[in-house]
Amino acid sequence: MHLDASQEKLLRGEGGEAKQFAMEIVSKVGDAVGADSLVPIKSAHVLAHYSSLHDAGIDMLERFANSGGKFAVPTSVDPASIDLENWKSFGIPEEYARQQFRLCDAYAKLGGMRCWTCVQYQVCNFPKGGETVAWAESSAVVFANSVLGVRSNKITSGMDVACAVLGLTPKFGMLNDENRVAGVAFKLSLDHLTDLDFRSIGFFMGRKAGSRVPALLGLGGDVSSDQIKHLGAAAAAAGPVTMIHLPGITPGTKTLSDATGGSKVEEIEVTRSDLEEIESDLDQTTEAPDLVALGVPHLSVNELGELSKMLQGKKLRRDVRMYVYTSSQAYDMAERTGISATIEQSGARISHSTDAEISPLKRLGFNVVMTNSAKMAEIVSSEGEIKMRYAPQKKIIDEVTS
Amino acid sequence: MSQGALKGRGLMKGTARGKALLSEKAFTFAHGVDPSSGDVMDVRSDIRGSNVKGAVLFYPFGKGSTTASSWFLETVRKGNHPAAIVTEGVDLSAVIGAVMAGVIYGKKVPVVSGVPRSAYMSIKQGEEVSVDGDSGEVKREK
Repeated sequence: MHLDASQEKLLRGEGGEAKQFAMEIVSKVGDAVGADSLVPIKSAHVLAHYSSLHDAGIDMLERFANSGGKFAVPTSVDPASIDLENWKSFGIPEEYARQQFRLCDAYAKLGGMRCWTCVQYQVCNFPKGGETVAWAESSAVVFANSVLGVRSNKITSGMDVACAVLGLTPKFGMLNDENRVAGVAFKLSLDHLTDLDFRSIGFFMGRKAGSRVPALLGLGGDVSSDQIKHLGAAAAAAGPVTMIHLPGITPGTKTLSDATGGSKVEEIEVTRSDLEEIESDLDQTTEAPDLVALGVPHLSVNELGELSKMLQGKKLRRDVRMYVYTSSQAYDMAERTGISATIEQSGARISHSTDAEISPLKRLGFNVVMTNSAKMAEIVSSEGEIKMRYAPQKKIIDEVTS
Repeated sequence: MSQGALKGRGLMKGTARGKALLSEKAFTFAHGVDPSSGDVMDVRSDIRGSNVKGAVLFYPFGKGSTTASSWFLETVRKGNHPAAIVTEGVDLSAVIGAVMAGVIYGKKVPVVSGVPRSAYMSIKQGEEVSVDGDSGEVKREK
């Protein structure tokens, strides 16, 4: 990869240790992927949760923060591994919280926006169409490329902070037009899509698309941005998907031909039996859950409102907990509008600034977790310690409430 | 190039030697390797139950979470990391993890890509191999 004179200086350490460390990471990545240059970014989104970063991640983030590093562009952050406000009441051990707070402190020292969410595009990080960003969090990257018309690769942990500190990213992958062309088309001809169906459709596409950019036909004009959020999250959890062409929604894509650049591509019909196969793969047991986890990715305030209607007048069974995950901003709004009160009178709890799949569920004693998130079912089941159940929100509520 | 050597592209410099640990399936350190032991714990991995510590780890592609680089780095911090990583496609998690391992812990983990699965599967599990991250050469050792 070509570095200009000022970038060469940073690599030699003339811009300080933090930028040198950052430049070592991005230049090695650039060489590995065959990028020709570094390009400016408008924003960054980084990871700083203890469950995945571990103590090594603290060393990494503190190294950046304590050697003079500052984020060069507006930077948001994915959820923490604990509810940063109410962690004690969720039973999080003190020593675990302490390590998460070290990550929080280093992140704050670097100058990041303290909005701990995986749906930054709904609450605190608003790029406009055509901009280039460097975001970690695969579900947000799919949303950025597919709905916002923003260009981002799925940025790996460590490189996310490096890009944020430099305000630069290697030009490769989804930053180049030729890699944004659809190579496979999925066709939906299903009626009455449930919340689970959107996840299962995404998951099916993620499995089948391989390294091709998929297009999705037949979604219908009344699909909500929240539904696309969950569809994209599931696709990215199941495979290397970073963009889905949605004709009529994706900027610049009115038709399938716009998505494929006029080329003929393989077309795959998505049938009810395909979705049932996904459901049976992700739904691992018939055992009763000890935890219901909703909100992977974070629910919006609209979704919290819908959930509160479903929980109105219902009571959670005593042997099961229900945690609902959202951003701090949606949490505050739900508090002020009475949505939280309705959800919590059922016995469910709302947790913010963290998310289920990155919290220490096993340590907290949970063994069977039920969700409508394909992303969560996939991630948590891969370790084999917790059994996952996967069902539509309505079915979950019917099962665990009276 | 010496006889019988496999040739890839060196992405992280340095030389290393160890027993070959060969996976035919996409691999991830994220929820896939226990950093405190080096044990492969991914239920979908074909080498689940094996240990990566000191091994030359071969896999075709990376997969899954973008946090894999940090899981890899924690494995390095605990001293349970592979001696080298050899892949078919570029796995950025391995590259980024290895850069950070060098800067933060002063540990070198050579990374080579561009060695097809069909080629490296001619090596036997546990066979002694050496990796040169400068030249991209992977050799069987007697």
